[in-house]
Amino acid sequence: MINTKGLKKIFQAGDVETIALRDVSIDVEKGDFVAVMGPSGCGKTTLLNILGLIDNPNDGEYYFNGQEVSKLHDKQKAVLRKKNIGFVFQNFNLIDELTVRENIELPLIYLGWKKKDRKKRVDEVIERMEISHRKNLFPAQLSGGQQQRVAVARAVIARPALILADEPTGNLDSMHGEEVMNLLNELNKEGTTIVMVTHSRRDASYSRRIIHLFDGQVINENLNKFL
Amino acid sequence: MISNYFKIGFRILNRQRSYTVLNILGLTIGIAVFVFIYLYVQSEVRYDRYWTDSENIYRVWAEYKLEGKVERVAITPFKLADELQKNFPEIRVSTKLFFTDPSDVNDLSSLTYNDEVFEVQNITLSDSGLFRIFDYNFSEGDPWSALSAPNSIVISSKVAKEIFGDKKALGKKLKSMRREYTVTGVFEENICPTHLNFDAVVSESSLSPQNLRRLKSDWYHLGFYTYLKLDDTVSVKSFEKRINEYTSKEIKAYVDSAGVNIDGYMIFSLDPVRHVHFNTTLSYDSPSNANPAYLIIFSIIAGFILLTASINYINLAMARSLKRAKEVGMRKVLGAFRKQLALQYVSEAFIVVLIAFVLALSLVELLMPWFNALVGKHLTLAGTLFSIHGIGFGVLLILMIVVLALGSGLFPAFVLSRFNPATVLKGNNFMATIRGKQKISAGGIRKILVIIQYVVSIGMIIATLIIFFQMRFLKNNDLGFDAENVIVINTPDDTAYFHYATSFINELKTVPGVEAVSSTSNVPGYTYGKALFYVGDSSGDSLKTMSFYVVDTAFFQLLKIPLLEGEYFKTGMENDTTRYYILNEAAVETLNLKHPVGTEFDASFFNEPGGKIVGVVGNFSQSSLHSTIEPMTILLYPEQSRYLLVRLNENRNEEALAGIQKVWSKYNKGRYMHYSFLEDKIQSLYAADRKMLSLFSYFTFFVMFISSLGLYGLSSLLIEQRTKEIAIRKVLGGSDKRIILLLVKDYFRLVLIAGLVASPVVYYLMNRWLNTFSVHITLNGWYFVAGILAMMALALITVIIRSYHVLRQNPAPALKYE
Repeated sequence: MINTKGLKKIFQAGDVETIALRDVSIDVEKGDFVAVMGPSGCGKTTLLNILGLIDNPNDGEYYFNGQEVSKLHDKQKAVLRKKNIGFVFQNFNLIDELTVRENIELPLIYLGWKKKDRKKRVDEVIERMEISHRKNLFPAQLSGGQQQRVAVARAVIARPALILADEPTGNLDSMHGEEVMNLLNELNKEGTTIVMVTHSRRDASYSRRIIHLFDGQVINENLNKFL
Repeated sequence: MISNYFKIGFRILNRQRSYTVLNILGLTIGIAVFVFIYLYVQSEVRYDRYWTDSENIYRVWAEYKLEGKVERVAITPFKLADELQKNFPEIRVSTKLFFTDPSDVNDLSSLTYNDEVFEVQNITLSDSGLFRIFDYNFSEGDPWSALSAPNSIVISSKVAKEIFGDKKALGKKLKSMRREYTVTGVFEENICPTHLNFDAVVSESSLSPQNLRRLKSDWYHLGFYTYLKLDDTVSVKSFEKRINEYTSKEIKAYVDSAGVNIDGYMIFSLDPVRHVHFNTTLSYDSPSNANPAYLIIFSIIAGFILLTASINYINLAMARSLKRAKEVGMRKVLGAFRKQLALQYVSEAFIVVLIAFVLALSLVELLMPWFNALVGKHLTLAGTLFSIHGIGFGVLLILMIVVLALGSGLFPAFVLSRFNPATVLKGNNFMATIRGKQKISAGGIRKILVIIQYVVSIGMIIATLIIFFQMRFLKNNDLGFDAENVIVINTPDDTAYFHYATSFINELKTVPGVEAVSSTSNVPGYTYGKALFYVGDSSGDSLKTMSFYVVDTAFFQLLKIPLLEGEYFKTGMENDTTRYYILNEAAVETLNLKHPVGTEFDASFFNEPGGKIVGVVGNFSQSSLHSTIEPMTILLYPEQSRYLLVRLNENRNEEALAGIQKVWSKYNKGRYMHYSFLEDKIQSLYAADRKMLSLFSYFTFFVMFISSLGLYGLSSLLIEQRTKEIAIRKVLGGSDKRIILLLVKDYFRLVLIAGLVASPVVYYLMNRWLNTFSVHITLNGWYFVAGILAMMALALITVIIRSYHVLRQNPAPALKYE
């Protein structure tokens, strides 16, 4: 599903150049669950942003379902993204002004779904995520775990083939963290490909494969021994 | 989908309530001021547009040259209208309207009914063409025939109500000092604005046969407005040419028959009646005529005020969007197109603008009486909305809502929706890409917009200062005489008056509180007459046109006009056969007289020459300081007086006034005493300028207020973003003063740049304005420095108010937050 060849990303701040990614080539098969690990600043989030088509590499190739996507226009990327990719962030990134229901519904609005279809699908997911009793609350009225559930619900609402999760449990206590990981695990079992950036070995243990990044380079790629 | 944008918009606005309030407040004021200016300008523009076939109605004005001097006047000979009507069949109707000097209220300004005297300000004279051209509605009588018969009078419904109450006016008798008139019609005051301004009209056939004969023969007696209603098909240019061919022949024949040798000409031109109100270039025209430049200036200001409010919205939206970056980023991640993001911003702007509109219109309705008093009009919002112009006004309002919402919403939407989501999610100072090349940071755009606001504010502050000081200068300007504590009384316009004038004046002098009394032909500082004078001997080449007053012996001492040479008029001189003159300095200079005192001098209207100059006085103001001081001659000839000047011992001495009124009533039975304070009369010359000053001051205040609101909001947001920096500085020992300076420094720079942009523009415009006065202040750097400093002070105060709160806070929480 994902093939990258020699991805390179440089951040420039004045005269200072920071190389976030150098020559990163990875492959993720359909249905895979990959954890990306590494110390702070090693380029994990940058890699995820590029994979998610919300940032551009300076060099290298990125094939998504066999199509080279790194040089597409913003609009083409947006179309590809909203059809295929769901995101889960460490800090949830829910929109404060929208209710739980509306946050979850948002991707479907951007996909141009009809109101009736949206309602049906949102009800389904809300049911599944066990948040029906909170669907009319605003994010600020929820606990962190609940917010992340909403974020996951939003990520899966359009049935994306790929979910990119950036430290999904980073702001949660262990109990809520486990709940979220279980959710992701279930989704993976149902066929969704997942790429997850994490610091936590425990979270990584849910994955099938770990990619270790260090200083912007892939240093080790193992099949998860727990598989 | 759209309703969704609005729903979210409402929530966002509700959450960030203080910014919403700032925005709505700014826009409300901006829109309200705009609507006021619109209504004002509209009411001016609509002058004389609603007469039937108003596009075919013209007023004739004259340009004449006499003794080397060219004058353009709104008044024409009495006979012009009839002559043209007789000879040019393309004229459907013509009429003439007597020119009443607005300063000159005399006997005709009061009417007696059942022995009760009523003051009626504007009584004029016309013929039956008047109401055929200007189709006033008549509540009584027939407009077409009302002015046909001799001794007919048509009165306004207001006058009718005042005199007759609810009773019918038609057929009732009203008396002036000379004759009795029969009311033949009552017209409704026009709701549509017009330059015509009369409360009552008498028929021309009421004039005495000898007066009528004189007027009908004389081409050089200018004293009437002439109006023509032409056929649709007439080409005005060729018509003007043809009438001038005709009139110049007639005038030449008239001059030849009179046997005088006049070097000059008189040509007539046509002004569409719709343009009359905007013509301020003619003498003897309606004083309420509007300078179109003021209207343009006001319209531009209206636009600027809206722009200022709009810029507030844009700036606050952009500054706020740093806080909203996460939301924008997330929406992009979730696949929102730019159009969809833009729509969200625009719907928010739409909500704000809509609320502001409702509030603004309510505010306009509420403040309308105050505004009407300020501009001297009778405007109503509902009146405009539900009148025939309502559609245009309604469309304009809707258009404004759309333009404001799009203008305010699209700009931030355009800039912000361009950002790379990954960058925005990090919350850096983002860059906008314009056509893929240039990069302008949001901060840069904000600065440019703030500079635009400051340019407008500073420009208006400076302009207001200049207008204010010029007005003060005019008020304090040495008129050349002492106008304080002097009242002006109109004397009866009747030869019988001169039989008792002396005893009347003498008795006035005995009223306690009265210091001096003098009679004069003109109100000093206000109006003057013009005539031809012989200097030296009475041969033709020494004929000069000069302004003149005719006064009595007390005139100069009463007004305290300084004597430079010779002597003042002395008691006894008025009985001599020699006529005595006093000249002003300017006249001596113009005539180039080395030894003026004793020089032979006389007005050409005296058949037998026999006058001399006895003194020279300092220049004194003769009329509005918009015009220059002219060479002037003052003749001792009390019988020609039209006004009495009375000097009181103290200002507004009520007791003395009552005493004067008593003496007046004793000598002038049945006559209304029209009087005014000389100072008021002189100040009334600047009424239009003062109106402009007060309007300008209000506009300036609102522009400053709106930009301060914007600055307040903007600095709030920027301070919020710099909370951490401020905390670190405090921890490191920065004093409050230094931190405030740091915060305000940026604004100072912007104010300075704006000041540099505004100054030359204001200098150019205000210099042009000042040059319309014969005396004016000189523009120096201080006005500009003061304007810039005022704006800086305002910025400083705003930032201090805003940062006070932050500076009082404990720095620890700000540092912990990341």
